[in-house]
Amino acid sequence: MRIGLLLLLLLPALSFAEPATVIRATELRAAAATDAAVVAPLAEGAKVDALERKGGWTRVKAEGGAEGWVRMLALRHAGGGAAKPGDSGISQLLNVARSGTSGTQVTTGVRGLDAEQLANAKPNAAELQKLQGYAAGKDAAAGFAAAGRLQPQSVSYPREGG
Amino acid sequence: MSRLLLLACVALAAAPAAAQFNFNLNRLVDTVKNVGKAAGEIGEKEEIEIGRDMAARLLGAAPLAAGDPVQRYVNNVGRWLASQTERPDLPWHFGVLEAPQLNAFATPGGHIFITRGLLERMRSEAELAGVLAHEIAHVLRKHHLKAIQKTAQLELAGTAVSTLARQDRNTANREKLLAAGSELFARGLDRSDELEADRLGVVIAARGGYDAYGLPTVLQTLQAMNPEDSGLALMFKTHPTPSERLDALERMQPTLDAYAGQPQLAERFAGAARR
Repeated sequence: MRIGLLLLLLLPALSFAEPATVIRATELRAAAATDAAVVAPLAEGAKVDALERKGGWTRVKAEGGAEGWVRMLALRHAGGGAAKPGDSGISQLLNVARSGTSGTQVTTGVRGLDAEQLANAKPNAAELQKLQGYAAGKDAAAGFAAAGRLQPQSVSYPREGG
Repeated sequence: MSRLLLLACVALAAAPAAAQFNFNLNRLVDTVKNVGKAAGEIGEKEEIEIGRDMAARLLGAAPLAAGDPVQRYVNNVGRWLASQTERPDLPWHFGVLEAPQLNAFATPGGHIFITRGLLERMRSEAELAGVLAHEIAHVLRKHHLKAIQKTAQLELAGTAVSTLARQDRNTANREKLLAAGSELFARGLDRSDELEADRLGVVIAARGGYDAYGLPTVLQTLQAMNPEDSGLALMFKTHPTPSERLDALERMQPTLDAYAGQPQLAERFAGAARR
C-alpha cells in the first residue's frame, strides 16, 4: 500500500482531479487521438475535472459524469485562487520574518529572487566558478541522452509571421 | 548610417542637460558612433563576457542550490538540447538557483538558470527540457543582448557627452550594459520575444527527443496556480500570462502532436531532481 502510494506520487501525469474550463467548443473522445470515437460534445465554457494527461490530451470528467479525452490546449485550469488558494510559502515566510517581536522588517535569511534583490545583487565570483565546474561536455551530454533513449530529431523552426 | 542619425536625434532629445555645455553636434555624433560600435557590433566573445558578468550578478542574488547531482543533471539535459541548435559550441552552462520563487533566466552567450522553486513544480525531464529550451532560444536569438543594447545606447546617448571623458567611455559602456542587463531581469523582455522563445523551445525539445508537450505542461501548471502566489510575482510581471502563452502555442499544434509520443523520462527526473 505504501509503495502504491509512492508510485502514485511519482506519476508524471496529473495525479489528482483539478477543476478546469473548456475554452472553445470541442469533443470529448473515447481515446487520446483525433480519430477516436466522440463520447460527447463539449461546449465553450463547460466545467470539467482534469484527471490525467497523456501527450497533448487530458482525460476529464464532464459535468454529466461522462469521461473521456480532450485536447490539453483546449483546457484552462481553475487558478485564480479557486482551485488552490495556497501559496508556495514565500509570502508567509516573509510575513513571519516581518512580524517578528520587534515589528520591524527582518528579511535577512529569506533568500530568493525578487526584483529588488536582482537590482541590488553584487557579482558572486565564487558561485560563478562553481557553476562552471558543473558544465557538461557535448559528448557526455550525448551519452546521457542515449542512456535515456532520447532520439535526436530533425525539426524545423516555425516560419515567423505566418 | 540612418540608424546613427536616429540615435543622434534620440540623444539630442534625451539630453537637455547637455545644452548648458558648449554643445557640439559633431562630438555627440562621435560619441553615439562610439557607443554604436561598442554595442551595435558586439562580437561573440564580448557577448559571452557580458553574459558571464550578468550570470555572476544573478548568482549574487541567489546562489546555486545544494547538490552536485542535480546541478550536473540539469547541465546534461541543457547541453544535450543546446547541441541540437545552430549555436552548439557556445560555452553553455546551466544552474539551479537556490530560490523559492518560480522562474528561469538566460544571459547572453549561454548561461541559463532555473530556480529550485520551479524545478520542484515539475514532474518530468521533458518539462525541464521544455523550460531550458525556451531559455536556450533567448540566447540563440540574442533577445537579452539586443534589449540591453537598446537601453544602453539610449542612456549613453543622453549622458555621454556631458559626463564622460573619452578614455573612460569603454569602461562606462560596459558598466551601462551590465546595469541594463540586471534591470532587464526585473523588467522583462518584449512579449513577442517570450512567445518566440516558446515556439522555438517546443522545437528544440522535440529535436532533443523529448515529449514536445513539456513546455505547455509547465505553463499549465503555472496557469493552475494561484496568480497571487508570491512565488510567481516576478515571473508574471516579466512574462505574458500562462494562458496567453498557451493560446499562442496552438500555432505549434502540428509539431507538438508529431512529437508528443517521445519520452518524458519522469523517473529519471524524479531520481535526479528530488532527493
